[in-house]
Amino acid sequence: MLHLPLSLILVLALALTACSSSTSQPQTDSQPEQQTQTQEPSASSTPSDTLVVAITSDQGTLDPAVTMDNAAWKITYPTYQRLVEYDGSSTEVKPGLAKEWQVSEDGLEWTFTLNEGFKFADGTPVTAEAVKFTFDRTLAIKKGPYDVYSVIKEVKVNSPTSVTFVLSKNFPPFLSTLAANYGGIVNPKVKEKEQNGDLGQNYLANNTMGSGPYQLEEWKKGQYFKLTPNPHYPNQPALKTVYFKIIADPTAQRLQLEQGEVDIAEGIPVEQLTAMGNADNIELLQNPSLLVDYVYINTSRGHEALKDKRVRQALSYAIDYQALTEAVQQGYATQMRGPIPKGLWGHDESAFQYSYDVEKAKALLAEAGVTNLELNLLYSDNKPWWETEALTLQAFFAEIGVKLNLNKVAYATSREMMDKGEFDLCLGVWSPDFADPYMFMNYWFDSNNFGLSGNRAFYKNDRVDQLVRQAATINDQAERIKLYQQAQQIVIDEAPYIYLYQKDSLLPVSKQVKGYVYNPMLEGIYNLAEMSK
Amino acid sequence: MKQIIAKRLSLLVFVLFGVTLITFFLSHVIPGDPARMMVGQRADEATLQEVRRQLGLDQPVWVQYFTYVKGLLSGDFGISIRTQQPVANDLITFFPATLELALTAFVIALVVGIPIGILSAVKKDTVWDHGGRLFSIAGVSTPVFWSGLVGILIFYKLLGWFPSSGRIDLSVAAPAQITGLYVLDSLLTGNWQAFANSLWHLILPALTLSFAQLAIVTRQVRASMLEVLGQEYIRTALANGIKGPLLLFRYALRNALIPTITVVGLSFGSLLGGAVVTETIFGWPGMGKYVVDSIAYLDFPAIMGFTIVISVGYVIINLLVDLTYLLLNPQIRE
Repeated sequence: MLHLPLSLILVLALALTACSSSTSQPQTDSQPEQQTQTQEPSASSTPSDTLVVAITSDQGTLDPAVTMDNAAWKITYPTYQRLVEYDGSSTEVKPGLAKEWQVSEDGLEWTFTLNEGFKFADGTPVTAEAVKFTFDRTLAIKKGPYDVYSVIKEVKVNSPTSVTFVLSKNFPPFLSTLAANYGGIVNPKVKEKEQNGDLGQNYLANNTMGSGPYQLEEWKKGQYFKLTPNPHYPNQPALKTVYFKIIADPTAQRLQLEQGEVDIAEGIPVEQLTAMGNADNIELLQNPSLLVDYVYINTSRGHEALKDKRVRQALSYAIDYQALTEAVQQGYATQMRGPIPKGLWGHDESAFQYSYDVEKAKALLAEAGVTNLELNLLYSDNKPWWETEALTLQAFFAEIGVKLNLNKVAYATSREMMDKGEFDLCLGVWSPDFADPYMFMNYWFDSNNFGLSGNRAFYKNDRVDQLVRQAATINDQAERIKLYQQAQQIVIDEAPYIYLYQKDSLLPVSKQVKGYVYNPMLEGIYNLAEMSK
Repeated sequence: MKQIIAKRLSLLVFVLFGVTLITFFLSHVIPGDPARMMVGQRADEATLQEVRRQLGLDQPVWVQYFTYVKGLLSGDFGISIRTQQPVANDLITFFPATLELALTAFVIALVVGIPIGILSAVKKDTVWDHGGRLFSIAGVSTPVFWSGLVGILIFYKLLGWFPSSGRIDLSVAAPAQITGLYVLDSLLTGNWQAFANSLWHLILPALTLSFAQLAIVTRQVRASMLEVLGQEYIRTALANGIKGPLLLFRYALRNALIPTITVVGLSFGSLLGGAVVTETIFGWPGMGKYVVDSIAYLDFPAIMGFTIVISVGYVIINLLVDLTYLLLNPQIRE
């Protein structure tokens, strides 16, 4: 035993060398390199022709005929072109691939004349054939976007620069759907990439074949997307390389933004953003979005009492909307005024808005003869703020004597339950795919859309059905607004939903980034071609 | 020896059968419709049915299971519902990153943990022992999401020594794929820039992950060493004039390592499956993040693929552990 101390020293020495060989050696190895690394970002950040956007997760498929996930659009939108495009920050469309268009009197034939000179990234010119190919392909694949375009009966090529869509019924929002991501025109050469009759789905899941200002050069799964300019695009963009870098952790995103390693960070929660507003090199861009947060009241399959509109009104009066947005969104939100959000045509600034009135709510409940009401509230962890929101609602409803039981389930489960109507109340969000009040009025209130597809309140009112369906068949915007406003009056009064708030979009951006324009229809999508540093 | 390996590998078939059966049926009784997740919220019934048909979800569950196992036998893990890619491709993309991280953390845990364990045993109840205990217990009781963040704050933000996320810089091309382990691949291809860069990215997450495993190794080595050092054959060896490192390493440690290996082998399995949090914090593109995203999406084929890879990993590690016993203890060989 006497000799143990000596051996101990040896062991210790061994341990130390082992430690140092495993940890400190690479450290010294990369010392010079890390210095250039940290200097580069903090001084001039990333190079002036390179933009780095931090995103929170990887994307699924990038095929415009398949994806319904808005998150994938930030890659596909700048790499494809559409017949029409959203105009700057407005929800109106402007010419894109098409320079002009006409619609027939009955609304069944839309003819587009194409601009000449646009080419796909491989140099193939964009023709009317390519347009026909794209829509035929989407209809043949029959996945998510098929639903929107199932109204197309036929696409006819009149000449290389003229194409006509024949619709099976009048569908006024049609033009607006062409500006959405699934309207991206695909290079017909994708046929060469076909495997087992998949119409190129496998190839386009990972690659882009569009005529937009950019093309996807590299996608390192789980790490980043790298976009570079389409060499055949007429006006070459200033940013030569755009990275969408996947950083799941909000704190890591924040640190990298502060260090100048990324220029835009998408995944920082609102509490941290307000704290960050003080950083010198970062600007917090705040814009009203079209994303609304609301509560579905199950009017026909939920609690018996919810069939009475006075009970639903009572719930709408029980909420202090100001306090709710303060608690849940740090005040970065605006109370809704009816179902159509502000910023979209059809919004009615004079519509009735519920306000916080406990006495009235109690009176309404008494009038309806409801006592000891106990409801369950369904929600999931899909939105980080829903937990707080659920608790806040629980407290408000307690004040009017309504007991709210919280029922939090997994996201996929919640969607199944929503679809079947297995809830009394349920938290939800909604944002429009195309800029038309149809997105709200027809989806939310038409009794043909019960369940997940839109009418999640399982609400049926014959007059409302008639109004929104009529509004969906005529092309005169003024006339449609009139019809939608009549319908809005009814659905605000009958309160099948609690219209909570529309969220602000908050985006921290490095002050070096110039030319970014927010469009509420293009949440999370960047006008890369016009941006610079 | 060969017999043992063959026998253990044949058991793998049953393990796989059990794993696929249980995971498949469990994941199919969870309410939720993957076809719904895929078509988006506003699709009509006809679109939904069509997608369900394309995915084979309109078939009875046992038919789906049969189809799945049939595919599996020919190496087909099915198509991921979320990424629309063959699951096998996704696993090949993400598994090596997790393996690289877990292996490195494992090596660090061993290289640091074993000497600390020995030291603590030899210097029992002294300041060395207490210090070692404090260090290792701190590791196991600090949650990774916290130690990771502290690591990033200190080594990225304050000192600027290490990057905060990713496997390699955006400006550095990844090495040509051989094993999928960046450090190893860049070494094999002689790509020194990629080697230094990927190693530099690996250190912080690997240290964080190993910190949590360290205590297991240290405490186990200490306990077994104490036990072995008290045994009679050590006293006999001492009486015969055997001393110092020879006694410690050849006589004591070799026996003390047997129970340690069991514990360490299992902890490596949990490293593989449990690197999720570390991967999220360090933006490490491994399987953890992939499978968490898949679960939220009810992506059955991806969840199944992940489970199968991890269970095969466990079985193989257990086999390796048993084989190591044979090397360390000739008695078991008979």
